[in-house]
Amino acid sequence: MRIKVMKFGGTSVATAEARMQSAMRVISAKDQGFRPVVVVSAIGRKGAPYATDTLINLLNEIDPNVDPDPRELDLLVACGEILSAVVFAHTLKTLGHSAMAFRGGQAGIRTDGVYGNARIVSINPVALLKSISGGHIPVVCGFQGVFVDGPGMPGGELTTLGRGGSDTTGAALGAALKAEAVEIFTDVDGVKTADPDAVRNAPTLRTVTYDEVAEIAHLGAKVVHPRAAEIAMMYGIPLWVKNTFTDDEGTQIVPKSDFPGRRVTGVTHTGKLVYLQFDLSGAASEAERVMLETRIYETMARYDVNLFMLDMSPSSTGFAVPRDQYPIVENVLDGLVIPVGGAERRVYLFQVGRNASREVETQAALLGSLGEVRRVPAELTEGCTMVSLVGHEYMQQPGVFYNVMHALAEAQIQVLQTSDSDYSLSVLVTESESLRAVRLLHDRFGLSEVS
Amino acid sequence: MNVANLNPQQTQETEFEKRRGISRVEVRYGFAQVHITNLDGEIQAARLRVLKAVNEAGISVDFLKLTPTGLSFLVTNSCAEGVATAIQPVASDSSIRPERAIVLVHAVNIRDEEGLIGHIVREVIETGTTIDHIGDMHDRLLMIVSAKDAPRLEKLLAEKLLAGQE
Repeated sequence: MRIKVMKFGGTSVATAEARMQSAMRVISAKDQGFRPVVVVSAIGRKGAPYATDTLINLLNEIDPNVDPDPRELDLLVACGEILSAVVFAHTLKTLGHSAMAFRGGQAGIRTDGVYGNARIVSINPVALLKSISGGHIPVVCGFQGVFVDGPGMPGGELTTLGRGGSDTTGAALGAALKAEAVEIFTDVDGVKTADPDAVRNAPTLRTVTYDEVAEIAHLGAKVVHPRAAEIAMMYGIPLWVKNTFTDDEGTQIVPKSDFPGRRVTGVTHTGKLVYLQFDLSGAASEAERVMLETRIYETMARYDVNLFMLDMSPSSTGFAVPRDQYPIVENVLDGLVIPVGGAERRVYLFQVGRNASREVETQAALLGSLGEVRRVPAELTEGCTMVSLVGHEYMQQPGVFYNVMHALAEAQIQVLQTSDSDYSLSVLVTESESLRAVRLLHDRFGLSEVS
Repeated sequence: MNVANLNPQQTQETEFEKRRGISRVEVRYGFAQVHITNLDGEIQAARLRVLKAVNEAGISVDFLKLTPTGLSFLVTNSCAEGVATAIQPVASDSSIRPERAIVLVHAVNIRDEEGLIGHIVREVIETGTTIDHIGDMHDRLLMIVSAKDAPRLEKLLAEKLLAGQE
């Protein structure tokens, strides 16, 4: 049985016309001898009547100061995909093809119990196989599954998979059903060398490896989610990214062994970040510097702050944090007092930003009479973004760092910090320069010419 | 197709996504770390002069980190001598620490797991190991330490971070 999993994103099911085009692709696959299994996202993107954000707003409108319970939130947002699946199945029916809509749990998708960011732990595809063998086209809700944990919840708890959940559903079903291919349909022609918002004519890559696509997706490309690429890689499922609305051949995602040689794959940008660099040169001793470092990271862990682009030197340490978490960081670190035990009567006082806040000045005045006050200033750069060069067997070449830094320096774009991996090199720049940085690197590495 | 006649493999549950959290600790040996401080003049231009010199020597650089007055990076041990010669004209205050190792803590989507990086770094500092540098990728945290300290750090981190995990 030649099964093909076809996943349609929000824009591919947003309107009756879009759904019709998507449905025709499913019927075409069926006509070619495949047994299609459809996965759908919620109808439309941000702002659309049934999109995930719109549903969440139903709760926020009641009282924006009360956070919804994660369990209830999952029940609510899952409605978007349920509605979409039923509408898509009915669209196929109107075209003369029997179809059955399935919730994630009905399709056998079991997850762990983390509401809002669940991970798929297993799939039992028997219900889908029954549907296929009954001559139906299964239409499965993306982005959701069910958590079953003992007799206390016999029916299981509905969970959602978090960002990129529908892509993940598609790839996982492809693996469970031993599909011949998984096709991710979207509104762009495939995986591009850069975000078209930054580089208007960024070419579409015809072939990329699983590793490359996972890397560019982790670093900001939105075309396919890394979790989906990782599952496809693990199970060797051929994965395609295609445009619902054009006949472009799309991008095929292949194992590394199918793509010998080296190249620069693309340039990505992601994140609304705030960068903090702590000056630890005022520590009275090595032991006290270590104590300060420990306290910084312990505090970040305690308050569940996500850290990016770390650095640590004998006189400083730094990291970037998501902008939406920065208020927590400021709240817990600005004015933080760390006393040194024993006869030292010395205290360290953290100051976030060049100018001391009223709280820091008040603390300093109060503590001054008790002993020596040493400030730990943190230089603050708000509005940062991570721009990354992604490559295949390329990053180990001499001169890659130099070429990136040189291109940015020539354009007077300041690099705040860097990080690198086997597949990528990232620089932290101010958000206002990020698109210019993407364009510069795209040009410098000749990406307009790739295919 | 009769489902009752399906290949048993097709009706079995299949395990999928990588488990969240820390999956393993790994050590890679054979590096030298180059530290350059107190660069003269405009800092970005001064760093660039260093990278240019290293590039012209045909030496590949890893783990570049910018510090307030300079930069640091890794080269393979075999390139340590070459890099010292290359940077000598452009960096008066530099040191090269040979026999370094990279200790890697692997965790899927590490940057998106709230507080996880902070938790690991705190555990690392508490082991008392001198960390020459630290960095992160989307699926791992990397630390540069002396090669002789690496096995101990690897063992301690495995005990602290992998305890209770399958």
